[in-house]
Amino acid sequence: MSADLLLHRIPEAVRTAAEAAGFRDGELLFSVRSDLDLQGGGAEVWTIVSPTLIASFVVSGESAGAVIGPHAFAQVEKVRARQKVGSSFLTLRIDGLYIEIARYSNTRREYFGRVAIFLQRRIEGKTLPDSYLEKPSELICPVCRLPLPGRGAGCPRCLRGRGIFVRTLGLMRAYWMSIIALLAMMLAGVGLDLIPPLLTRTLVDRVIQPRTHLDWLPIILLGLVGASAGRALLNIFIGRTSSIIGTRITRDLRERLQKKLLSLAVDYYNRNSVGSLMSRVLYDVDYFQSFVQQVAQGFLLNLMLVFGIGAMLFYMNWQLALLVLLPIPFVVIGTTFFWRNIYPRHYRVWDSQSKTAQLLSGLLSGIRLVKAFGQEQREEQRFSNAASYLQRSRRNLETSVATFNPIMGFIFGLGGLIIWWAGGKRVMEPNGITLGTLMAFFGYMGMFYGPVSALSMFSNWVTGFLSGGQRVFEVLDAQVGVTDRIEPARLPAPRGRIEFRNVTFGYDPYSPVLNNVSLTIEPGQFIGIVGKSGSGKTTLVNLLCRFYDVQEGQVLLDGVDVREIAQEDVHRSVGLVLQEPFLFRATIAENIAYGRPDASPEAIIAAARAANAHVFISRRPAGYDTRLGESGAGLSGGERQRISIARALLCDPRVLILDEATSSVDTESEQEIQRALARACKGRTTIAIAHRLSTLKNSDHIYVVDDGKITESGSHEALMELNGTYAKLVRIQTELTRLEV
Amino acid sequence: MNEAVNTSPAAPLFDDERLANLGIRWLIPAETAIFEGSFSLLHCQVQGDTLYRGVFAVLLFPVSHPNHLISLRYQDAKDKEQEIGVIRDLSQFQPDAQKLVRDNLRKHYYELTITRVFSVRHEFNLLFFDVETKTAGRREFVMPWRSDRTEDYGQNGKVLLDALDNRYLIPDVTALPANDRRVFTRFIYW
Ligand SMILES: Nc1ncnc2c1ncn2[C@@H]1O[C@H](COP(=O)(O)OP(=O)(O)O)[C@@H](O)[C@H]1O
Ligand SMILES: [Mg+2]
Repeated sequence: MSADLLLHRIPEAVRTAAEAAGFRDGELLFSVRSDLDLQGGGAEVWTIVSPTLIASFVVSGESAGAVIGPHAFAQVEKVRARQKVGSSFLTLRIDGLYIEIARYSNTRREYFGRVAIFLQRRIEGKTLPDSYLEKPSELICPVCRLPLPGRGAGCPRCLRGRGIFVRTLGLMRAYWMSIIALLAMMLAGVGLDLIPPLLTRTLVDRVIQPRTHLDWLPIILLGLVGASAGRALLNIFIGRTSSIIGTRITRDLRERLQKKLLSLAVDYYNRNSVGSLMSRVLYDVDYFQSFVQQVAQGFLLNLMLVFGIGAMLFYMNWQLALLVLLPIPFVVIGTTFFWRNIYPRHYRVWDSQSKTAQLLSGLLSGIRLVKAFGQEQREEQRFSNAASYLQRSRRNLETSVATFNPIMGFIFGLGGLIIWWAGGKRVMEPNGITLGTLMAFFGYMGMFYGPVSALSMFSNWVTGFLSGGQRVFEVLDAQVGVTDRIEPARLPAPRGRIEFRNVTFGYDPYSPVLNNVSLTIEPGQFIGIVGKSGSGKTTLVNLLCRFYDVQEGQVLLDGVDVREIAQEDVHRSVGLVLQEPFLFRATIAENIAYGRPDASPEAIIAAARAANAHVFISRRPAGYDTRLGESGAGLSGGERQRISIARALLCDPRVLILDEATSSVDTESEQEIQRALARACKGRTTIAIAHRLSTLKNSDHIYVVDDGKITESGSHEALMELNGTYAKLVRIQTELTRLEV
Repeated sequence: MNEAVNTSPAAPLFDDERLANLGIRWLIPAETAIFEGSFSLLHCQVQGDTLYRGVFAVLLFPVSHPNHLISLRYQDAKDKEQEIGVIRDLSQFQPDAQKLVRDNLRKHYYELTITRVFSVRHEFNLLFFDVETKTAGRREFVMPWRSDRTEDYGQNGKVLLDALDNRYLIPDVTALPANDRRVFTRFIYW
């Protein structure tokens, strides 16, 4: 970064031009380098800032030599970093017009953002220290320049990040005893596998061919039976143990995933589709079971087999053993080539599965919309496309597997023929091998190629496992976004004083939605918030509930920064009723008692009464035991809202937030709810966001939000007196009500 | 049966053309002057309206209609973004006006178009790309291996967002050379 920012110095590359424009080394604030010219071509451009002047000089690129500016600071009204798509501009407002002074790619966005704030503060008469500009990046590791997994997170390279494999082995640590037992059983199993061909050799060479030792026959047979019975027994135990470990690990992982999903900030769900998250919890976790199986019955076992059998072959006859190795290069090359081509097909199967799941979950949750717009046919078509994509990708995968296996079988068969030919000759030769040895060779060979080809598939299996593991760890590693302090402040029973202090916040940190908002709400006040849709009302609520954290300023509850308070306490003391009430598939009573499952029926009725829901609930045949369908099907919009108000009231929160909570009930019930709420809300801090201004008339204080700022505030009367936006809105609405009547 | 009833379908209440005229101001060449004014900023004057200074253009359908439906906007006195109107078909304007709007659009959008994918390496859960771009030559960039770092672009295209949110566009993945495609879809398979 140092090379991109020079304090008090003109960069040599533009010295002549800069001096000609009136810049002098000693009188400079700083020079900062960007990577684009204004037209978006790659270029080296220096923006030089002195206390009086600002200008940019293009060093290289198509517009080399061009100078932008200089502009006198005295004329500049504002400095802004303007985010466009993929790049940004540093702009100056002069005479009401924004003039571009420099353009930069998103790589440089972080420190140009600081430059803009630094200059803006200067215009406002505040001077930030030089160290503000020199702060190390929060996005890139200062040591190795690797991008960090999150703002200010540790660097995976410098912290010796653990790979997916090591982490998976870490997951298995809890089962180390079973795993050691597993390994011991495998070793014993390999030993048992090696016995039968040896017994066959003895049988042929000592009993059958010379026709002697007939009494050995039953003993040898018994040995063979014993070996295969032992093997079968071991297989049973190995299979059971690995399945116990595998299913445990996958269950652990599923639970951890679900827990993690619950802890992730709301923001995460804006970025990731429900379908893809579901397929991770449901399917990707299974890769970890296959990992355990690979360890137990795959990789290690095959490795031991290859070495054990190889050693036996060479021990019996090294010349023949070399011949056995002959087809191996073909097997390895064939398998490697095959899997290199097959693995992408695995990905595609995963992709098609996840897309189908996404489509289906979207379709089923929007089923009423589909029917209302009569789009069943199109949805059928879309699903049929997805289903045939799934079919194609599976067929693609399976046909290649179906082609590959017989070909490999053929190659193995060729290996056998070589041994028949060479080994057969050896048996006939005077000093050659015995028939029994040849038989044993065939025995071992039959067990040899399988593990070899399995081993050649291993690296590709690894790729598949890595991608599945990656998708699981991606969720587990996701930045929670909103976290508790190590020792959070406890605030079990706050009084409900709320303060926003110079809050600036944007869902995208580079384009703020709230700008320097300050407001104070005293305990027990009834506050109204009004403003156009999209003005930032819900965003205020999101910050208060700590679904997101502010970028600048503070949100305080009872004088304590909400970031310091245990989230549990914040959520318990703030009750939230949303415009879109969400009801679970359960009874009405269970839905009302969601936040307090232990609530008594009396309390549930009281809460329902307060929310003006008691009457319509009790008219239902099953009363409070009425089962609701998916997301509250069977109730009207207003009824759903009233149930969600009851749900919030039952938790007896200190602070109650109604975010357009009464917007879908008619005026009359709204007034009833208001009256009920007024009773229920006595002593509670209540924040009501509403479109219908009549509902806010009796508020202690009303804030008008416009474009992320508070533009007016005061009581209803004071605001009417002010004759601003609020008064205008009230007049319009009164007109409308008159029209309705 | 009741044959007196007229069974021919009711005429549509409005067709797309009438719908289009409800509420959007279409900027047509006859009524709209687009020119370069003070500080070389884009200016726009619509008949019977004030002069707008510091105008910028935004594509409303950047993927599906990159040459049509261009919104002209400005920043009002309170720094709020406002729309002047929408150009349906830029090619109907004078060549110099077209050029001004196109140049302005180039300022709004910045993404590098990838023509070749030489290699993709995976480490630390990051993908290290080595690619050829159309305008900026050979480039290397680093992208977290996460599905939310890519955006779909039309039928077969993808936009990759690197770790610092720079945008790299592959307009059609199936049009990449076969080997590049294999390298690419090995990691970006969704
Ligand atoms: N999750 C989100 N991600 C990005 N932008 C958002 C998100 N939620 C809201 N916004 C934007 O923030 C602004 C304020 O939204 P909001 O606070 O919901 O307005 P309202 O006053 O209608 O409640 C809007 O411009 C909206 O587009
Ligand atoms: Mg809202």
